[in-house]
Amino acid sequence: MKVSLNWLKRYVDIRVPLQELCDKMVMSGFEVDGIEDLSQTMDNVVAGRIVKLEKHPDADRLQICQLDVGGAEPVQIVTGADNVFEGALVPVALHDSHLPNGAHIKKGKLRGVASNGMLCSGEELCLKEADYPGAEVHGILILRDEAPVGTDMREVLGLNDVIIDFSVTANRPDCQSVLGIAREVAVALKEPLRAPEPSYTPKGGDIRDHIAVRVEDFDLCPRYYGRVVTNVRMGPSPKWMQQCLKSAGMRPISNIVDITNFVMLETGQPMHAFDLRDVRGAQIIVRRAKEGEQMTTLDGKPHTLTGEMLVIADAEEPSCIAGVMGGLDSEIKDDTTAIFFESAKFRRDSVRKTARALGMRTESSARFEKGVDIMNTEYAMDRALQLIEELDAGDIVDGAIDVNDGLPQERVLTVTAESINALLGLQIPAETMAEILNRLQIRTTLEGGTLTCAVPSFRDDIEGRADLAEEVMRVYGYNHIVGTPMRGEIVRGRKLPDRLAGDRLKKRLTAQGLYEITTYSFISPKAADLLGLAADDERRRQIALLNPLGEEYSVMRTQLTSSMLTVLATNYSRKIPAVRFFELGKRFIADSLPLDKQPAELPALCIGLYGEGEDFFTLKGLVEEAFAAFGVTPEYERAAEPYLHPGRQAAAKVNGQALAVFGELHPDTAERYGIGARAYVAEVRLEALYAAKQPITYYQPLPRFPAVERDLALLCDEEMPVAEIEKTIRDHAGRYLESVSLFDVYQGAQIEAGKKSVAYALTFRSPQGTLTDQEIDAALQKIFKNLGEKGCILRA
Amino acid sequence: MKEKLEQLRQQAMQALEAAPDKKALEELRVKVMGKKGSLTELLRGMGSLPPEERPKAGQMVNQLRQELTERFDAREAAMEAAAKAERLAAERLDVTMPGKRRPAGGLHPLNRVLDELIDIFQSMGFDVVDGPEVETEHYCFEALNVPKDHPARDMQDTFYLGPDLLLRTQTSAAQIRTMEGRTPPIRMICPGRVYRADEVDATHSPVFHQVEGLVVDKGITMCDLKGVLEQFAHEIYGPETKVRFRPSFFPFTEPSVEVDVSCSECGGKGCRICKGTGWIEILGAGMVHPNVLSGCGIDPEVYSGFAFGIGLDRLTTTRHRISDIRLLFENDRRFLEQFAR
Repeated sequence: MKVSLNWLKRYVDIRVPLQELCDKMVMSGFEVDGIEDLSQTMDNVVAGRIVKLEKHPDADRLQICQLDVGGAEPVQIVTGADNVFEGALVPVALHDSHLPNGAHIKKGKLRGVASNGMLCSGEELCLKEADYPGAEVHGILILRDEAPVGTDMREVLGLNDVIIDFSVTANRPDCQSVLGIAREVAVALKEPLRAPEPSYTPKGGDIRDHIAVRVEDFDLCPRYYGRVVTNVRMGPSPKWMQQCLKSAGMRPISNIVDITNFVMLETGQPMHAFDLRDVRGAQIIVRRAKEGEQMTTLDGKPHTLTGEMLVIADAEEPSCIAGVMGGLDSEIKDDTTAIFFESAKFRRDSVRKTARALGMRTESSARFEKGVDIMNTEYAMDRALQLIEELDAGDIVDGAIDVNDGLPQERVLTVTAESINALLGLQIPAETMAEILNRLQIRTTLEGGTLTCAVPSFRDDIEGRADLAEEVMRVYGYNHIVGTPMRGEIVRGRKLPDRLAGDRLKKRLTAQGLYEITTYSFISPKAADLLGLAADDERRRQIALLNPLGEEYSVMRTQLTSSMLTVLATNYSRKIPAVRFFELGKRFIADSLPLDKQPAELPALCIGLYGEGEDFFTLKGLVEEAFAAFGVTPEYERAAEPYLHPGRQAAAKVNGQALAVFGELHPDTAERYGIGARAYVAEVRLEALYAAKQPITYYQPLPRFPAVERDLALLCDEEMPVAEIEKTIRDHAGRYLESVSLFDVYQGAQIEAGKKSVAYALTFRSPQGTLTDQEIDAALQKIFKNLGEKGCILRA
Repeated sequence: MKEKLEQLRQQAMQALEAAPDKKALEELRVKVMGKKGSLTELLRGMGSLPPEERPKAGQMVNQLRQELTERFDAREAAMEAAAKAERLAAERLDVTMPGKRRPAGGLHPLNRVLDELIDIFQSMGFDVVDGPEVETEHYCFEALNVPKDHPARDMQDTFYLGPDLLLRTQTSAAQIRTMEGRTPPIRMICPGRVYRADEVDATHSPVFHQVEGLVVDKGITMCDLKGVLEQFAHEIYGPETKVRFRPSFFPFTEPSVEVDVSCSECGGKGCRICKGTGWIEILGAGMVHPNVLSGCGIDPEVYSGFAFGIGLDRLTTTRHRISDIRLLFENDRRFLEQFAR
């Protein structure tokens, strides 16, 4: 809410410096978003009269002016403009003056003739036609004969003002007005408020002879209040009113229109004036528009309306989009003679939706959206009529039309000072509370520690003790709140098991040199195509956003891999030679689509790598590391993900439950993502991993007897998975086998084609004693026999 | 005999000093003191001496043996010491060469800061809870006292997934689930991801993160709120940090406040970071609205509470002076590496 300091001073005395005013307002709940001192825009520019004009002796286009600027001697200035004349009043930038366009004017010589400043055009003073008539005319700005010579131009232009932009919170729509802000300033500065008390004398007649009003949709218009003014005398509004409007960025138009705008800015209640001639059937109907109904607003734009929009119609057609903008047909014209003033309350979400749908946000709609006070409609109307009388702009007709759905009763709240203090943790005296509330126009009486508060209609945000506590506190001052240390029973803050598990994973993975990444939870539906997922792949069952920002972020992800690949691609495109990343995130899995209940949000881990030294097995090592964090040793088998290399991908399972799929990226996928290196990616279902977590570890006695180690070199078919060999060894080695580890796989010279050599180190140990060679040999024979059946031969 | 012994002593001493290495020394030791050594031979020759001279001679031989043994041992020790010194000298390294390390990776900066917050609040007895990101209008709005016609509920600001399903716009939704599921005293924080229909730019992201805090108990006051936030501010910004409450408005708290901390850069004098005000806004907070309490079945006449919401992304970007929020979601390795301490 931008408020002119000069306008504010019409209602409250401000005797403190500007900064102090702003600080006090901030601390009572009105943040200051900006301060614009209009007087800073120019200095040393005055109104001067041209007393003598002569040709420059050495330049045809230049003229030498003698100007009366209020001093004893005239000032000589050379100008190139040709619209000046003797007797004209013009803006004069004197020596060492500053203009709003940034120019610094100094005295000098023009073709040998002294020039002690410059005559200014409207453009040089950054003025528009709305700021000053004739401002956009080419040439020097000719001032109206209104200011004595020597008057500072800031005064002539009304620039001796400061505009303060207050941020008004959503619960204070009453402060969307100069008077509302003034009320708060008065409280903050402890000054009395001089709110206008409208009074006027109607000139007889009866409004019912001029117009009838019917409200069809009270749900969207709880109150419609109207008055009629006849014998309208159109003309300009007075300068003070124009000045006020300009300070709020509004253009003065005519006395009637300016009154509606002035009253809206002053009281916060939007007003509208209809030319009574153009209200067909002398009837106002407040109704929902008919689907497809057409109307042109006063900005000249045509609109097609929908059945959800509220309009003010006459007997035939809509003549105003309620709360948003009036219609062109019934607007106030130069020859308007009778008007109907509207002051109504429209439902805020209705106005908001209509304004949005039509792409029009007006001063009026902005106020209705935030909510106007239903009781303020009458006050605003009275104020407008007072101004009609004051400006002698017409004759007020007797009687008002007030159509409403019942008006609210005054709300009276009863609270004890003690209960307010209990919430605040302070000991504010009850008398102080009562005094603060009364200053806020919440009429409060105090009796034995109990406050009885009559809440004014413009503060319908105040519903109970907590609201009153806030009112007291923001005026009393939050600096009185002194922090007390956390009290209560000493309890330990706990983390949920999933969070603890996540912490454990992150520790393991960062220790392995991985960096954690964070990506959006919504992705493009195209990701499924980039991964090459089959048409019936479950991961294509994605939840769609009804109102996404764009296709790129339009479905909730069912897998983390595509986000990881995008990040790998970003890094690759930036010539980063190697990365090791992981992300812990959620997968959103719908029970059914379209979504009718909350989906499952399942935790997942994604690992992605590329760079020198990375291969399938470095990735697998990291996946194993993640499993090891929970004591889980899964089985591995070949997998068939379309986005992974067909020969270099595996699935990890435990008890038949899928834990993870991982592998080298398929070159086609890599190409689609723009990753020019071999990349590796794993996706782990953490809900399955956490479920497979091994319970507490129990101590195993340390070995007391020496181990016996034997190496086995085997020759087998190259297609034979080593996991199967290892399983055979374990299954048949007997109870003394302590460990099996693969230490070599070889193919090439000395090995028959289609075969491979694999070498294992076996460790045997007994807890009862040192094992004999016979015992070991017996175990080995059994292993050889079974390996032989699988086609594995012992190498010589 | 005596002359012979002296002669042997002289020769042995000379040879001992001249021995170039341990091997030569050992050979010499065998030659002089071994079973067939010259000293042993001398001892054998004692039989030819008159019996009265034998004890004397025996004593002299033993004396010499002892002397020579000591000399051999000393010489050997000296040689070993010299050899070790030589080896150590040869093993000298340029200790300024870089260490061999397998560098650890690191957490994302958002989670590094989050971990700090969790530590602070957990140590004050706050449970760390989670809530669903896909919420119903009830939990995200109604129960939080946000009325049906509130602008926040427009499609313009909230992502909808279904008629009554949306992506939560605030972690405050978790307040309701916590209060419904537990009886006071309640002390919890809920960190999590939230969503708003904001176009992406340097300071906005449609996906961001909050840490919600909630305390409900008998006799909880605004002073308690300030105490907890002061504790938090001191841990995060330093023990000199001041905390200021400014009136504000949130539908689910009353009174509501914006919380500022004194600028850690200038100490409150006013600088570029705090835009000359001396204060930096860090979070919104307030006393839980009585409607919210009673909606969750908690009697506001018996219990009171406070809630606060910390914007994790903003806290992270201001703390680490990250100029653009988009960097957090881009995941350039060179960015992530900077936070791996």
